[in-house]
Amino acid sequence: MPAEPGPVPAGGPRPCPPPGDFHSEQQYQQQKFSHQSSGPPYRKDQYFPREQNRGERGRGRGGWQGGHQSASEEIPRYITVSTFAQARAAEMKAMLKAVTQKSSNSLVFQTLPRQMRRRAMSHNIKRLPRRLQEIARKEAEKAVHQKKEQSKTKCRKARRRHVNLVAEFNRRQRKNIWLETHIWHAKRFHMVKKWGYCLGNSPTEKCYRACYRAMTNHCLLQDLSYYCCLELTGKENELLKQLARICSIDTGLTFRVAHCLSGRFQGSLNLYRADRYPEDALGPVTFIWKPRDGSENRQLWIWMHPALKQDILNELKEIFQCSEPEKVYIPEPATTSAQEEEQMDVVLSLGKKRKKKDKEGEKAVPVKKIIGDGTRDPLQSYSWISQTTGVVISDRTMEIIRYRLIGPLSHCVLTETLKAASLQTMADSESELNNWWVENCKDSEKVSLHQRQTAIFELLEGISSPSEMPPGTILGLTVGDPRVNLPKKKRKTMPDPEKYQDNDKVRQLYLEGVPVECAHSFIWDQDICKNVTENKISEQDLNQMRAQLLVPGSQLDLGPCESKIPILLVQQPGKMAGEDRPGWGSGWDIYLPKGWGMAFWIPFIYRGVRVGGLQEAANHSEYQRTPHTPNDFPDCPAGMQFAKELEATLLEKFKRRPPAKRANYIKLGTLSPFICPWEQLTKNWEGRMNASEEFICPSPPHAENCATEGNGFCDPEPEVAKEASPETGEVEETMEITSTEGAIKREDDPGSQNFGERDEALTRGFVVLRSKKLLMQVAAWCYPTSGKDRRIRLISRLGQKEMTEDVFLPILMRYPRALVWVSLSLLRKGNPELHAMICIPTEDDLLHLSKDKLFCGPQEPKHRDIFKKKKKKKMEKEEEKDNVEALESDSPSVLDEETTEEHEDLILGLWPDTLPDVTSHCSRTLLGYVTRGDFSLAAGCGEALGFVSLTGLLYMLHGQPADKKGLVLLRTPASLQYRFARLTIEV
Amino acid sequence: MVRFKNRYVLCQVVAEEPRGRPCIEERAVGSAVKDAIARAYGDYGLACCSGAGPAVKYLNAYTGTVLLRCRKDFYRLLCSALPLVRQLESRGLRCPCFLSTLHVGGTIRSCQKFLIQYNRRQLLTLLQNCTNEDERQRIRQSVLSCSLTEEQSHSGEEEEEEDEDDGTETD
Repeated sequence: MPAEPGPVPAGGPRPCPPPGDFHSEQQYQQQKFSHQSSGPPYRKDQYFPREQNRGERGRGRGGWQGGHQSASEEIPRYITVSTFAQARAAEMKAMLKAVTQKSSNSLVFQTLPRQMRRRAMSHNIKRLPRRLQEIARKEAEKAVHQKKEQSKTKCRKARRRHVNLVAEFNRRQRKNIWLETHIWHAKRFHMVKKWGYCLGNSPTEKCYRACYRAMTNHCLLQDLSYYCCLELTGKENELLKQLARICSIDTGLTFRVAHCLSGRFQGSLNLYRADRYPEDALGPVTFIWKPRDGSENRQLWIWMHPALKQDILNELKEIFQCSEPEKVYIPEPATTSAQEEEQMDVVLSLGKKRKKKDKEGEKAVPVKKIIGDGTRDPLQSYSWISQTTGVVISDRTMEIIRYRLIGPLSHCVLTETLKAASLQTMADSESELNNWWVENCKDSEKVSLHQRQTAIFELLEGISSPSEMPPGTILGLTVGDPRVNLPKKKRKTMPDPEKYQDNDKVRQLYLEGVPVECAHSFIWDQDICKNVTENKISEQDLNQMRAQLLVPGSQLDLGPCESKIPILLVQQPGKMAGEDRPGWGSGWDIYLPKGWGMAFWIPFIYRGVRVGGLQEAANHSEYQRTPHTPNDFPDCPAGMQFAKELEATLLEKFKRRPPAKRANYIKLGTLSPFICPWEQLTKNWEGRMNASEEFICPSPPHAENCATEGNGFCDPEPEVAKEASPETGEVEETMEITSTEGAIKREDDPGSQNFGERDEALTRGFVVLRSKKLLMQVAAWCYPTSGKDRRIRLISRLGQKEMTEDVFLPILMRYPRALVWVSLSLLRKGNPELHAMICIPTEDDLLHLSKDKLFCGPQEPKHRDIFKKKKKKKMEKEEEKDNVEALESDSPSVLDEETTEEHEDLILGLWPDTLPDVTSHCSRTLLGYVTRGDFSLAAGCGEALGFVSLTGLLYMLHGQPADKKGLVLLRTPASLQYRFARLTIEV
Repeated sequence: MVRFKNRYVLCQVVAEEPRGRPCIEERAVGSAVKDAIARAYGDYGLACCSGAGPAVKYLNAYTGTVLLRCRKDFYRLLCSALPLVRQLESRGLRCPCFLSTLHVGGTIRSCQKFLIQYNRRQLLTLLQNCTNEDERQRIRQSVLSCSLTEEQSHSGEEEEEEDEDDGTETD
């Protein structure tokens, strides 16, 4: 018996009998059978003679049992009362439901005819006719409720009153943490809620190009305070010993690198899970060591993106065995513990959590929130200690404000905004304002240090671009209140040509960089930071003092009351890899103690900087051709999470279009337009490699292998392509077999050593190749050899080997499933998009390209939508099913139902979950995907960044002619047109 | 405000044979009505009813209720053609039947209201003519089940209400 009401044809908002109807009917029929045997129902015939002519009309089918045609003649005509009544009742119910529903959108009294309207009907329900009063009451309640919600807030004046405003702000940032510049941003930016913060995405004004210009010519400011800082404190050896486990020398720097360890430079590296390199990446971080200051404990800051924080924090806790929170721990420098305890207190008092930390703040008046971290549970602790090694990990997120200035004039802005603090020997006795600074000024050594720092800072003005400083230079400084020398009008800072005269010292600065001592800053000391935060002169007081000046508008001189703020300046290196635009996008990061955010922000704005949001940050990294966190880290958990979210949003956007207006990605040959199937890509490439290796391996070691191997590489490819029909099951099976064979054969290959590693890699998906040496090698191979002889020069420069298989086979053995970060620039037309496909051009394509100057690229032949029919069938089947159910035949084949269920989640134009072989689905072999692509204002052509399979890349380079090396085809997901692009790897 | 006015004809399909039930489906009824109009009034009649012509707005195969829509100007044409429907045809099955007009209304809503009244009347007569106690119980139950408000009530209350209903019904 069907579960759904069958007979009413689908479509249209018609009322239909409720589902229960049928079941009951069946029951009744069964009961009827029993009755039939006993006899009594026969009598009904006689009892319904009067009604017969009327009841006859439609009820026959309700009462007559079964559809047994042969028997129907003999059975006497009679009616089952129950089914008849049941059907009527069901219909009545449906109709009642339909009638009582209010069809129009208007209020009840509006639907009344004119003559029945009465005055003040909406006010007094009793003026309505009785039958409508109930509905009207409901409506009125709703309206009242709405109004109440609105009127909950008081009048605007009351709402804008400072106390209420602050309370409201505190309430609103309970879920997503606000940065200190939030209000400023919220007025000018599209805000998004991400990673537990409220962040500005991009300005509301049109400024795409203007922001680019600011980055290249002037200065772009960005609030990076949402970046998380983990502080590690402990003995240097202990720290280094454990930290060495989570990074690898292969990828470039480690925590141990001498110039970073001294505290002179900032370093950046990729973290991995302990001892798991090259798998299980955790993400990129930057780190700063506190310069040595005599004590045996070192401090280390690790800065990371909030999306990565939880993973990294957990890993750090694990390797240092820091399980218990700080509470238990009492020894260690008293300075930090006191701070810690207070933090704990603040955390524990949930209601007033994270209000300003001084005691006066705990009055009834709500105090502006200064600290807080959205990525942390309020009850979680801030810091953890290891019992064995004494290493303390503390989470200093939102404790330090970080602004980034990008652009060549960023140090002009810096030097103009910041003025080094003046020395002060007289302490203000009653307040603790600046007492640390007074203390400091008594020490002649520290005074001289401060003077040297100031001198270097002033020298910066004479440098034309921050890229001229050594990358990652750190300069500590103590500055005065930047609000004091605020210019009257906002204007652009321009470099002063006179300052360039100071040649000697500037040259010395170029050559030697900033000395180690100058990297020292008081910002490392939490006590001082706290003091500085608490003793900030409020904006109001400052304005009052300005108003009391004798000459209005003259410079305000606070004298000894002026706050001294310890800051840290860190140079950001900008574009270091690649050949064009060296040093583009370099700038300074400035670290401030919390609470001082707006005090520094506004002075910067007054120097004519442009402000960017997340979008601009993404553009910055795109033009620098560096991977952007967390978008471009597909192998770390945050990156995967990001990809999933992106897919969901894109899919939702896709579904919002009417089906007829959607792109049919199946016809376009795009398997996954919304997510990059890295795992399958690498797996398929590995499978192909193993399949082709069969051809090589039997041939004896590298004698005449060049020719044979070329064949080996080329031959199996068309085969696979041919076989790559939708049912690739067979192909994959053969691949599986060959892969195992290949593995066995490889064991006697002398080139491969680490089998254990390889097997592990096999089990666990893909890795991203970050080994500097290998990348260098592959990058060199990507250049065209003949032509301008560029590659020979490069080889001689880099000392690279020729591309022969005894060089690259071991690489493939080691990294069977690896991705390489590549950048692509289009040769001619074309604008790459997100998730565009990177493909290998065929020989014909390359030939055509060299002959025809205007050849834009080949076209992908249109694919057939094999799922369309199935989907249609499914829809028909559903309709049919209803009818079949109406017929009450129990024939619906089980098979059909299964097939329909199988394609339950079909969306027209998208592949269902299981993808066929991604590499050979289209006419050109797929190499990888673009994760970010756009028209590049810097290069003047379309540029894209993405990942390709290492195996595929080597295969392609091996097969390509010397002058065409590194040429690939790009195709956007919603197009059939391929475009030529040059692939480069920048190390 | 001017709107396009329609007439809705509520009729009942009365099959001569009980087997006719599967034949009652939207398409079959629609084509049968069109056929009848074509036979009676020719191309003119068909054209009159084609644009916003007789469309089957609602159909219940269990009670045989059909709601047809046509333009207000030509509803007489439709009503006069309805008796000419002699059989329904679907999937090769043909069953002799006829359509009896119950109500002609200006809105679907009014037809729905009429249908409620009509069904209620029918059920009441059924209840009155009932002899068997068992059947009487069942009819009562179904009568109870058709009202919206009593859906949520429990079985205990139902019994009480049943008595009340009984009283009102027999009045």
